[in-house]
Amino acid sequence: MSKDVIGSVLVVGGGIAGMQSALDLANSGYYVYLLDKSSSIGGVMAQLDKTFPTNDCAM
Amino acid sequence: MGLVERKATHRRYAQAIPGAFAITKRGTAPCRATCPAHVSVQGFIALTNDGRYREALELFKQDHPFPGVCGRVCTHPCESACTRNAVDSPLGIMYIHRFLADTDRASGKPYVPAKKAQRQEKVAIVGAGPAGLTCAYFLAIEGYQVTVFEKLPVLGGMLTVGIPSYRLPRDVIEAEIQVIKDLGVEFKTGVEIGKDFTVGQLREQGYKAFFIGIGAQECKRLGIEGEDYKGVYPGVEFLREINLGNRIHLGDRVAVVGGGNVAMDCVRSALRTGSKKPFIIYRRAVEQMPANAEEIEECREEGIELMTLTNPIRVIAENGRVRAIECIRMELGPPDQSGRQRPVPIKGSEFQIEVDAVIPAIGQETDWACLTDECACTLNDWGTMRVDKVTLQTSDPDIFAGGDAVTGPATVVEAIGAGKEAAVSIDRFIRGEELAGDRKTDWRPVEDVPTEGLPHLARHPMPMVSPETRKANFNEVQQGYDEETARAEAHRCLECGVCCECYQCVTACKAGAVTLETHGQKPETLTLETGAVILAPGFEPFDPSKFDSYAYAKLPNVITSMEMERILSASGPTGGHLVRLGDHKEPKKIAWFQCVGSRDLNRCDNSFCSSVCCMYAVKEAVIAKEHAGDDLDCAIFFMDMRTHGKDFERFYNKAKDQGVRFIRSRVHTIDKVGDTGDLAVRYVTESGELKTETFDMIVLSVGLQTPAETVELAKRLDIQLTPGHFAKSTPFAPVATSRPGIFVCGAFQGPRDIPQSVVDASAAAAAAGEILAEARDTLTVIPEKVPEVNVLNERPRIGVFVCNCGINISGTVDVPSVRDYAATLPYVEYAADNLYTCSQDTQDRMAEVIKEKGLNRVVVAACTPKTHEALFQETLMAAGLNKYLFEMCNIRNQDSWVHKHNPDLATEKAKDLVRMAVAKVGLMQPLQEAQLDVNQTALVIGGGIAGMAAAQTLGAQGYTTHVVEREALLGGQARHLFQTPDGVPVAQRLDQLVSDVSADPHIQMHLNSEITAVEGFVGNFKTTVKNGDQEQVIEHGVAIIATGAKPLVPTEYSYGQDPRIVTSLELDAKLKADDPAIKELEAAVFIQCVGSREPERPYCSRVCCTHSIDSALAIKARNPEANVYILYRDIRTYGEREYLYKEAREKGVIFIRYSLEAKPQVAIENGRLLVRLTDPILGRPVEIDTDLISLATAILPPDNNVLAQLFKLSLNDDGFFVEKHAKLGPCDFATDGVFLCGMAHYPKPIDEAVTQGKAAASRAVTLLARQHISTIGQVAEVNPALCSMCGVCVSICPYSAPSFRAPTERFWPGRAEINPVLCKGCGLCVASCRSGAIHLKGFDNDQIFAQLFALNEAS
Amino acid sequence: MAQWEPKIVAFLCNWCSYAAADLAGVSRMEYPPNVRVIRIPCTGRMSPKFVLAALREGADGVWVSG
Repeated sequence: MSKDVIGSVLVVGGGIAGMQSALDLANSGYYVYLLDKSSSIGGVMAQLDKTFPTNDCAM
Repeated sequence: MGLVERKATHRRYAQAIPGAFAITKRGTAPCRATCPAHVSVQGFIALTNDGRYREALELFKQDHPFPGVCGRVCTHPCESACTRNAVDSPLGIMYIHRFLADTDRASGKPYVPAKKAQRQEKVAIVGAGPAGLTCAYFLAIEGYQVTVFEKLPVLGGMLTVGIPSYRLPRDVIEAEIQVIKDLGVEFKTGVEIGKDFTVGQLREQGYKAFFIGIGAQECKRLGIEGEDYKGVYPGVEFLREINLGNRIHLGDRVAVVGGGNVAMDCVRSALRTGSKKPFIIYRRAVEQMPANAEEIEECREEGIELMTLTNPIRVIAENGRVRAIECIRMELGPPDQSGRQRPVPIKGSEFQIEVDAVIPAIGQETDWACLTDECACTLNDWGTMRVDKVTLQTSDPDIFAGGDAVTGPATVVEAIGAGKEAAVSIDRFIRGEELAGDRKTDWRPVEDVPTEGLPHLARHPMPMVSPETRKANFNEVQQGYDEETARAEAHRCLECGVCCECYQCVTACKAGAVTLETHGQKPETLTLETGAVILAPGFEPFDPSKFDSYAYAKLPNVITSMEMERILSASGPTGGHLVRLGDHKEPKKIAWFQCVGSRDLNRCDNSFCSSVCCMYAVKEAVIAKEHAGDDLDCAIFFMDMRTHGKDFERFYNKAKDQGVRFIRSRVHTIDKVGDTGDLAVRYVTESGELKTETFDMIVLSVGLQTPAETVELAKRLDIQLTPGHFAKSTPFAPVATSRPGIFVCGAFQGPRDIPQSVVDASAAAAAAGEILAEARDTLTVIPEKVPEVNVLNERPRIGVFVCNCGINISGTVDVPSVRDYAATLPYVEYAADNLYTCSQDTQDRMAEVIKEKGLNRVVVAACTPKTHEALFQETLMAAGLNKYLFEMCNIRNQDSWVHKHNPDLATEKAKDLVRMAVAKVGLMQPLQEAQLDVNQTALVIGGGIAGMAAAQTLGAQGYTTHVVEREALLGGQARHLFQTPDGVPVAQRLDQLVSDVSADPHIQMHLNSEITAVEGFVGNFKTTVKNGDQEQVIEHGVAIIATGAKPLVPTEYSYGQDPRIVTSLELDAKLKADDPAIKELEAAVFIQCVGSREPERPYCSRVCCTHSIDSALAIKARNPEANVYILYRDIRTYGEREYLYKEAREKGVIFIRYSLEAKPQVAIENGRLLVRLTDPILGRPVEIDTDLISLATAILPPDNNVLAQLFKLSLNDDGFFVEKHAKLGPCDFATDGVFLCGMAHYPKPIDEAVTQGKAAASRAVTLLARQHISTIGQVAEVNPALCSMCGVCVSICPYSAPSFRAPTERFWPGRAEINPVLCKGCGLCVASCRSGAIHLKGFDNDQIFAQLFALNEAS
Repeated sequence: MAQWEPKIVAFLCNWCSYAAADLAGVSRMEYPPNVRVIRIPCTGRMSPKFVLAALREGADGVWVSG
């Protein structure tokens, strides 16, 4: 069994969810391929100004 | 969106990661794709538009040596393909490059391309027409020895002898041929190959390859009687004689037979040589003439008759000289093979025209006398050379051919294209490379260029000499664009390819990162082998353009909420200044319309709630008021206000206090108010009153939806979707898709906000980790460590590396002088400057220099430590230096980039900063990062759904996990629940979970147990668990808090006074037991928000709306006749829970809204259970006679105070735990090693509790998997000898790092000490220590003082 | 006095203001070149002694931001 398990994960999408998954997996000992269709990660959140309810900057 | 223009070369925003730039390409522009020479048309047009004519010309000449010639006589297929045709008329592309060529020629220093390294091989070109000249041009640039052999005494072939000079002046041809001569090409005129030399002889002379470009210069015969009489001149010969300067007078009446450009040239030349009435005879109609439309038009202007649908059948002579020509009328019959209608003679329509001369111009063919026996080339049936289509190689390997000799009579630009391709082939042939190779053959143009709604811009006409003046001479007719016209015409370009392929970036990039190959990059298909897939493709904001009533596309001041985000953002198009984009007016009144593209089946297909729009609208309104001041009027038009997240209700209440108006009404139309840009809105108030209000701006709160491409992706991956196109999952496996091994998180799992997406993301990572646990660490790499050199007590030997950063720094700061200055500073042993200090070769060099020069401190003066410190520190470590013996000084972000107009002072500042850094680095000491083992055991506190989910994940990943549960049973509140919204009984799945968890050998249960003491810190906790009288100490590395919540016991609505008044959970118990009384109910009333959203409990309990609706449906299912009422304040069925709300309404559940000020009244009168309230729509009191009242009671946190103190956690005002970060750390605590999940965080339904349980486990695993944690080196340290035991450090530290040594300690009892594991190096204690006993390593007093003392030294 | 330019020492928190100063550069904003930035791990690290030392060393103004 163990020979069949591949210790890597493909994460599709580099928004906040994809990035968090990728970080958790990489920090848990798995090799991660992070895929995004645009030239940088960050997704929609990077376009937001502030975030509720704390009004922290989204960047 | 698209609020600002973005260049093709861009990065999405300043902080983008990766920070590199990208080039946006849509594809090849149709002009370039269609041009046989594939000139980078959009590129030279963009450069022309930019006023960079020289660069534009250079770009043109990369692909084509004749911009001036083709600027006059090209058949311009590019213009026919121009996308602008769809808008108005095509760009005057050839007129623009003609302008470039004329400008170049007039400059007196025409551009000659640079030659590559000289090569010895000789190449012979036969024929000096456009094909041969082009081939010679490109081979000369490649460095070959090129000789051109030409039969005629002049160069240019048909350009010179075929095209009259009023169209193509001789000096234009000569100038462009001169450039080829300047490239070193040798010309031999008057030499006929096959007669004067043979190919065989040239081979003997060392010619390695041949290009045959001899054109098609022999006129085709008409094939009619009388063709050999005097007065019949073949067209090409006539033009050749004229062009060679021999005047021929043909007589007054000249019949030119043919409809191509040669015919037009002949007839117009005849006019210019004195014929009074030359005319055209053509057998088809004008529309079918192959000549350029301009040519035909100019003929007409000059008064030349076009006799169409006429065919000559006989030339009649008198005394051996032409007298007349007999013709026959034609009509157009059925189409022939070429698709054109075939002309058929009309019987009996023969007629004669008196003429003095006849010029047949119906086509040409090639004279193949040059092909002597030693050539193995073959001809095809048409009498043209047979060649390979791609390489243009003939059957004789060293002979290549192109132009009219291969194609038959064709265009100049096709000949040029052929010459260019042949040059590539010949180069490869001589080098012995494969000829076809990776040659680009696919030139498909882009198709999806938007043209709708573009303003019309008329094409600039070509200035011309008037017909009266020009008829009598051979002077040039077209006068060419002037600079202004050329630029204005270039400005019309639609930039179809986005990137114009001007290749200026290739020249500009000093690092060589952008090359021509970069521009040729193609999509690649990669195959990856992975153990799991996580889908996080996200959402797209709903596009409201299809809603006519909101006129989003038409009215500039109706914007989407995403656009509003950008307008409010400091990095947005207005720099954060709140103005209308159209007229820059500051708005005074803004309205938000909720549920645009959500909860709407009539106008779009999204019947779900997007979950986030209410909150973001409130946020935008609050931020807008912050930007514009309190005078700004913000109104939010909504249906239900859904602020169901943690601390959201407070935010909503605060917004109301700040004056944001909330209007419960769905607006259906927006009208514009004159030309003011203002917008009038009509709506009906809650009391039924029709109102009109005018706003400056309207923001459409657009919903979230799954993009079509994600739906496609789901199909390809074969995973099931919900009706709303989200990934289908179940409440107890919320991140698993329908396909094993594929997990989902974020907005593709359902519309959700950031914290929930982050929770999902960690949960998905945990789920993937569960199936991959045995392969952990098999594919990751651990970098090797270089042993550290001991530099203690050494005199500082400092190396200073100053970065040019291409020209980013050196463009402003005088880098060499900074470098030289650095070399003069104390202890500096080495100073250098680098083009890019961060490049790999410089890093390698830096490591060498450190070893070579024995450096023990390093300063890099470059960009910013925020992005590059770690990189340089790695280099130090690679050279065996402790990474803390390093200081970076910021001469780019904080110097050259911000003082670009002040280079002198910027240089001075750079020197100051380098001096300060050198002063500091000398005092740096090697620092150690302590390594701590992480105990591989986890402790989960709470055995409810979330706690069990966490334990299950940890167990599955192989970690020993202790679960501590206060009760005797696992399951928590879920044990009281009836069913999940998908209709499956909770008990069934809960029992499964309990048995799974209990059966896992990694998991140990501690029931009826409580935590009484916690010692230690991240990685090494010791927690005391008490079970009855027994106490057990568990050592663990991480802890997960999952202590859950409890229901409120209501004190209102007569609860407790009548068994028919129950709480939601009590009703669930009845439903679970399938109580027969439920079936008998005639009426049931649900009262929402019992204890929630009250002044003393200002939060929403999140689950109750869905829960009550689900129970109401359960009652309806048992007794459809029952009258079921839900009394609510706002229905908060977020996400796809909205379908239940819809279903309930459809099944007759009656929803009546009430307000906090007018709550329903419950009365028990004569055994009757009565509920009274005011119906807000009817405005009338309502009395409901009911058999059951279910109270949706608030969810309360348990008393978490003790646990909070034990683990040093904080609680919010409502008693729930405070996570590390509301958005980005929803499962983490500020205290390392402790994690949060379930209702201890905030009320939530089962699926969200399971998700967060898994997520907390995932976060815990990130610590456990490391096995060791290293502290940072820059921590505070106490000198106990100086400590006065005042305790300020102990009380002030946010991380509880300082403590007093035990009074029993042998050394320094009672003095403060700092645990380096807990210290985050903020320095708060250092600054607060009155005794000066605490030092912060790396930012110590002497180090900062050294910087300060170095401030002012004269430079 | 028209030519006089004050010399300012800025103590910037590594996590916020220092990053903001970097971003000002990335955004190509411009400001007068008479500020010298000292990066500190947190404004909690700030000590009155640093302000005094800066003034004594000739600074005309001290700016602490975090």
